[in-house]
Amino acid sequence: MATRVITITSGKGGVGKTTTTANLGVALAKLGKRVVVVDTDIGLRNLDVIMGLQNRIVYDVVDLVEGRCRVRQALIRDRHEDELYLLPAAQSRDKTAVSPQDMERIMEQLRGECDFILVDSPAGIELGFRNAVAPADEFILVTTPDPASVQDVDRVLGILESEGQERLHLVINRLRPDLVRRNKMMSPEDILRALVVPLLGIVPEAEEILVANANGNPVAHGDGQMASKAYTNMARRLLGQDVPFIPLLEGRRSLWTRLGLGSS
Amino acid sequence: MSEPISIKGTREGLTVTMGAGDLSPIMDDLRDRLQTQGAFFRGGQIALHLRHRGLSEAALRQLGELFHEYDMVLRTVVSDDHMTRNAAAGMGLRVVEPSETEAREIPRPITQRVRQTRRAVPSLDGSKGVLLRHVVRSGQIIRHTGHIVVFGDVNPGAELIAGGDIIIWGRLFGIAHAGSMGDHSAVICALRMSPLQLRIGNYIARPGEGDDGSSNPMPEVAAVRDEAIVVEPWYTTHSGAS
Repeated sequence: MATRVITITSGKGGVGKTTTTANLGVALAKLGKRVVVVDTDIGLRNLDVIMGLQNRIVYDVVDLVEGRCRVRQALIRDRHEDELYLLPAAQSRDKTAVSPQDMERIMEQLRGECDFILVDSPAGIELGFRNAVAPADEFILVTTPDPASVQDVDRVLGILESEGQERLHLVINRLRPDLVRRNKMMSPEDILRALVVPLLGIVPEAEEILVANANGNPVAHGDGQMASKAYTNMARRLLGQDVPFIPLLEGRRSLWTRLGLGSS
Repeated sequence: MSEPISIKGTREGLTVTMGAGDLSPIMDDLRDRLQTQGAFFRGGQIALHLRHRGLSEAALRQLGELFHEYDMVLRTVVSDDHMTRNAAAGMGLRVVEPSETEAREIPRPITQRVRQTRRAVPSLDGSKGVLLRHVVRSGQIIRHTGHIVVFGDVNPGAELIAGGDIIIWGRLFGIAHAGSMGDHSAVICALRMSPLQLRIGNYIARPGEGDDGSSNPMPEVAAVRDEAIVVEPWYTTHSGAS
């Protein structure tokens, strides 16, 4: 199977790109895929912290670009999943330490070695974003249900579409169904209508995700929790499986049951 | 010697004049120009003036693709070279003799014409325009010297700038500027009018706070009446029909 390079991006900061990258990586690995997650936020690395791997970093992506190590030496194996690896960003440098061409070269070395490469993009649409976008075949846009975040994803979609990118997926993160029901938050329907892009998944705002991130143990490692289920469903959809979305805010059953995220 | 490539805005659209010399540096130069100024020309129709230079079909296609990358359309080729004229005709482009254009071609920067009075602006013949069959996204600016028709939403942060009218079969959340060269008879129509700003000619309107049209979305038309932009439900603007 050919390696799929998927960049996770959003324009706006703080909407959950890194959380999505880590959990989707875990979920794909649990489904038996070999996955490399790459942190391109050079100078502000976070993915290692969320995955609890920060004390294992020896080499990083800048060392790799500058020839101080080979790609295998820079990859850090996950603590739980044998087929999940992290390529960390450098913390001491900045975005100018690598170029889009460098990123393409690194991905060429990793292609064929794994099923998925998930590239965690920094916020913004400047060089760091360019670095993350250059090697990608597909994109996952992460938005929270608020106008500022949706507008930034809209902007990024415009950039990607103008470059001929067609394999685009949307993740709606930190949704509060109670607020949506009271018309205090944009609904998934509102967001999809504005952005006109295929939906990959919806993740609820959940305490367990915050706690898991703080503990360096992504929520997708666990079973049964609805957030974990949301990431598994996303991973299945990426693999082409038909995991149905059930209309939101309809009837009186539990929202998460209707979204196909519940335990039933 | 004249510069190898020049781009000018005209009443018809954009005129790109290509001089003699190696094609590849000229293409690079053009790509650079489009890269830096492309957003301004976006949506424009191109008339390619080649004077006596010959271009192969492959070269014409290459140019067409380059313009397409920047959301412009190559429509017309002005050339007196046989091979070039045949190639262009074969690609479905309009082919024009240089002598036909020289008389009426008065290329002027668009910015100059914006300052002209309404009477000085030739009325649009109603046939020139661009149709966009997609959502216009934040950060995208669509400029056209004629009319702009959008089949889809115009999202917050997007901007449409038309010399003529703007018709949106969808929702307008961004900025629309009709009659941008001074035509105050231009109109802006949308199925749902919730813009950040409306501009017609020199007039600017900002919808009232909280009045985002969401309470009772209906097709509306914006036009200049008595020195101000007014927005009215579509059916009342067609007297006799209502």
